[in-house]
Amino acid sequence: MSIVRRFGSAIDDLVAGIRLAPLWWRVGIEQTIARYRRTLLGPFWLASSTIATAFSLAVVFGSIFGSSLAESFPFIMSGVVAWSITGGMLAEGASVFTSGAGIMQVQKLPLTFHSFLQINRMMINFAHQIVAFWVVMLLLRMFPLPHWQLLLSIPLVAATAVMFSIPIGMLATRYRDINYLVGFIGQALFMLTPVFWRKAQVAPKARWIADYNPFAHLLEIVRQPLLGHPAPLNDWIASVAFFVAVAILAVVSLALFRRRVVFWL
Amino acid sequence: MSASISLHGVTLDYAIYSVRAQSLRNAVLNMAVGGKLMRSANDVTVVRAINNVSFERLGLGGHNGSGKTSMLKILAGVYEPSTGVVRVEGRVSSMISMSIGLDHDASGLQNIKNLAMMQMMSKKEIARRLPGIVEFSELGAYIHMPFKTYSAGMMARLTFAVATAMDADILIMDEWLGAGDAEFQRKATTRMAGLVDNAKIVVIASHDDKLIERVCNKVMVMDGGRATFFGDTEEWLRLKA
Repeated sequence: MSIVRRFGSAIDDLVAGIRLAPLWWRVGIEQTIARYRRTLLGPFWLASSTIATAFSLAVVFGSIFGSSLAESFPFIMSGVVAWSITGGMLAEGASVFTSGAGIMQVQKLPLTFHSFLQINRMMINFAHQIVAFWVVMLLLRMFPLPHWQLLLSIPLVAATAVMFSIPIGMLATRYRDINYLVGFIGQALFMLTPVFWRKAQVAPKARWIADYNPFAHLLEIVRQPLLGHPAPLNDWIASVAFFVAVAILAVVSLALFRRRVVFWL
Repeated sequence: MSASISLHGVTLDYAIYSVRAQSLRNAVLNMAVGGKLMRSANDVTVVRAINNVSFERLGLGGHNGSGKTSMLKILAGVYEPSTGVVRVEGRVSSMISMSIGLDHDASGLQNIKNLAMMQMMSKKEIARRLPGIVEFSELGAYIHMPFKTYSAGMMARLTFAVATAMDADILIMDEWLGAGDAEFQRKATTRMAGLVDNAKIVVIASHDDKLIERVCNKVMVMDGGRATFFGDTEEWLRLKA
C-alpha cells in the first residue's frame, strides 16, 4: 500500500473513532456501572483510595517538609487526583487493545474507537475523584474555587491520553512485557513527578527530573486550576508540545500497524 | 440503497506469534543476532488470492481451518486483507460471535440494551424494538433477573433474539443460528428465514450442505485458504454427486 494511502486510512480511522462518540460514551458509562455493580460506593471507591493516599502522603511529607496539614493536604490531594489522568494514561494506554480484544475480533470498529472508549472510562473515574476532592475540601472548609483553565486542560489531557494510548497500546499488545514495564515505570514516575513534593523543595541540580518530564507539566495544568490558580505558561507550552508529539506518533503508528493489531491479540 | 460485496485479488496472511516471539527479550536478542530468531514467527497465509468474486447468497464450505472464518472476518471488516480490495456496500450485520459483550451480573434487559448498543442501534431504536425482543425471547419475568441465573437455553434465546432483531442489508453468519427447545427452534427457524429473505446479501459458513443448498445460490469451497471451487449451487451439487 502506498504511503499516502496508509496515512489517509490512519486519519480516516481517527475520524471514524471520533464520530463514534455516542457509542463509546454510552459503552464507557455502561462498563463503569458494570464494574462497580453491587458495590455501595461504586467508582467512589477509587476516589476513596485517592483520598487515603493523599492523606497519608500529606501527613508524612507535610511533617518532613515542615508544612502544616492545611497547607499540604489540598496540594497533595489535587496532585494525586490530577495524576490519575496524567500519569494514569500510561497504564490505561498500555491495556487499551488487550481489554478490547473480544470486540475487536468479531466486530468492525476503527482502532481508535478502543482508545476513545478506554480514555472515556478513565475520565469518568476522574470525574468521581474531582467530586470527592471538592467534597473533602468543602468539609475541611478549604474549598478552592477552580480556575477556568481547567476547562481547557482537561480536554487537552484527555486528547493527549487518547493519542498516547495508540502507540503504547500497540507496543504492549505486540510485546507482552510492556504491560509489566509500564506498571513499574508508572510507579517510579509517581515518585519522580512533583505530585506530593514541590519542585522548589529539591536541589536545583535535580530539578531537571521535573523539567524534562512531560507528565509533570501535564500535572501542573490540571492541578493549578484545581487549586484556583492559572498554570504557568511554560507548563502549557510543554503540554501542548507533548500533545503534538504523541499525536504525530499516533498517526505514524496507525499508518504503519493499524491493520496488524488484531493479529497481535 | 443497493447492497453489494465484491472481492478482487484478496489475500490475507499474518504472522502467528509464538510465546517466544511475543516477548521483548527475544525482540532485543533478535536485533542483536540480525533477525534470525524471529523466524519462529510463522507467516501463515490463511486466504489466498480470491479473485473477482461477487455474490448475493453465498455458502462457504470447507473443513475446519480451511479459512472460512477468516474469510467471514474479511467480509465483516474485522480483518483487512494484506493485498487486494474488498468492497462492501450496505449495512452489515455480522453474527460471528454473539456472546461478546455479555455482562453476567446485569439483568437480561440490560444485556439486550448492551448488545443492541454494540450493533449500533440508537437509543430510540432500542426503545422501539425492546418490547419485541423481550417478547420473542420468551423470558417473561426472567428478563429482570441477572443473566448468570439463566440456563444455557435461556442465554441462547436472549442473544438470538437480539442478534436477529435488526434489519441488515448484508448478513454474515458463522453457522446457522438456532437456540432453545424444539418449539423455540421452530420459531427461530422462521425468524432466520425471514431475515435471510429480507437481506440483500447473505454469507454463511457452514458444514451443513443441506443448509447451503437451501439458502445459497453460490458456493465457495475453501481448502488451505484457497477457493477450490466457486460457482453456482447446482454445479457444486453436480460435482459432489
